[in-house]
Amino acid sequence: MFELIAGRISQAVLLIIVLAAIYEVTRIAVKKKLKTRGIPGLERINEWIKEAAKRGRPVFFTPGTGVITTPDTLASMTLLGYVAKHCVEYGAQIIVANSDPQVQQLTEDIVKGAYTKAGKEKEFTPDMVRYVSTRQFAYAAGVMGILRREKPAVNFFVGDFQAEALQVAEAGRAEALYQFGGTTNTDQLSFFATTCDQTLIGEELYTAQGYLSADPEAISKLVGPDAGKILAILLILVGAVLVTFGNSLLIYLLGL
Amino acid sequence: MSSDKKKMTRGELGLQVIIFGLGFFYAIVYYVAVPGIVDLQAVSDQLLAYITAVLTAAFAIGVINLTRVHYFNIKRKRATWRYSIILLVSLFSMLVFSVIASPFALDPNAAVIPAGVIQFSTPIWDFLYYKVLVNINSSIFSLLAFFIASAAYRAFRARSLESTILLVAGLLVVLGQAPIADLIWPGFSIIRDWIMAFPNTAGQRGILIGAALGIVVFSVRRMIRYPW
Repeated sequence: MFELIAGRISQAVLLIIVLAAIYEVTRIAVKKKLKTRGIPGLERINEWIKEAAKRGRPVFFTPGTGVITTPDTLASMTLLGYVAKHCVEYGAQIIVANSDPQVQQLTEDIVKGAYTKAGKEKEFTPDMVRYVSTRQFAYAAGVMGILRREKPAVNFFVGDFQAEALQVAEAGRAEALYQFGGTTNTDQLSFFATTCDQTLIGEELYTAQGYLSADPEAISKLVGPDAGKILAILLILVGAVLVTFGNSLLIYLLGL
Repeated sequence: MSSDKKKMTRGELGLQVIIFGLGFFYAIVYYVAVPGIVDLQAVSDQLLAYITAVLTAAFAIGVINLTRVHYFNIKRKRATWRYSIILLVSLFSMLVFSVIASPFALDPNAAVIPAGVIQFSTPIWDFLYYKVLVNINSSIFSLLAFFIASAAYRAFRARSLESTILLVAGLLVVLGQAPIADLIWPGFSIIRDWIMAFPNTAGQRGILIGAALGIVVFSVRRMIRYPW
């Protein structure tokens, strides 16, 4: 009745193995209360927002040019929730700029939710969360304009970024006290590393939720994906050795 | 965040069931076929068509947000209210001319819109799109050249061991890329190729593998827990 699609069987098997390994390692990590290394940038977010509130300058956040189905964009929503919550707590104004109308709806929901949760829904104004443009460089121009005019104290560029990454980051560098970047796009990461005070590199974007949580269980769960990485490294090593000796078994198996 | 765990409301629970159901369905469709009973791929394509319809509707919401933000800028005479007028005039004039005269015009055969209006609007749309929008787009893109120069200046300063390694590697790649490099010493292009093919690719793949695993874990977590 059910049939596995040819060419995707090995992917399905690998996915099951990786998920099982992640589950098992997470279970052990939670049981043993393992601790992970910290990400320095995440620890300083609170201080920066406090500083912005003290100076009466806004906090700026943009999830980039990804759409609602882009993983980086979705992952950045976790950080937005955290930033919005602390902006409300410390009384700093938050400005969010979006390039996708659906993402704009989601970000508005998150920011509005932070105000509502704190019982300050009257302080939320619709111009805090803005739709700029779906066109890449119109979005870049819009974001650069917001940065120049509104001079935020902290800029968060976290999500999916393409060629506009350097433009928004350089414009932010010229105006803001602190800058925080994060993406998995390796072509743009170097630009973030040079212009931001703190950068979330690759998977750090997806694990931010665990780090930002005060819950020790959530921190332990961060160890899980490392099991997947160990499996990937083992596969690479075994594959390299086999191919070196002219054996293409692994290539055949992965092609199934 | 997850420390403030609370009981889901009925609405959140309903949404969670939809998120999990659709997420699970799309994962299954990628790996499994049910020949002779149901064409899962066709069902998935149909669902994607609904997503496209929702996305299109979302554009209207985007326009409403943009109009609302800039309308209040003008009404309250904020510092940049004049720019808001330019933005709104540009937005709605482009919208009107696109509906009448662009390649995606609503009525290209002049069934409802008079042919004279379409003839009048076509050169205006051409001018707005090809002479204004495309050129502004290119101008903003070309700003990157200057930003790259300032970012490179900041990156290529030997402040620590890591930045010195970056500086040396960067200089070798830039030298290897320059046409004159091979005339000076043929080794430059060999070093450039080696840096790009090995340390650079290895680093990038490491980040990609980590990110891919992060996406898997994040997706599973999202499928089983709704509130952000």
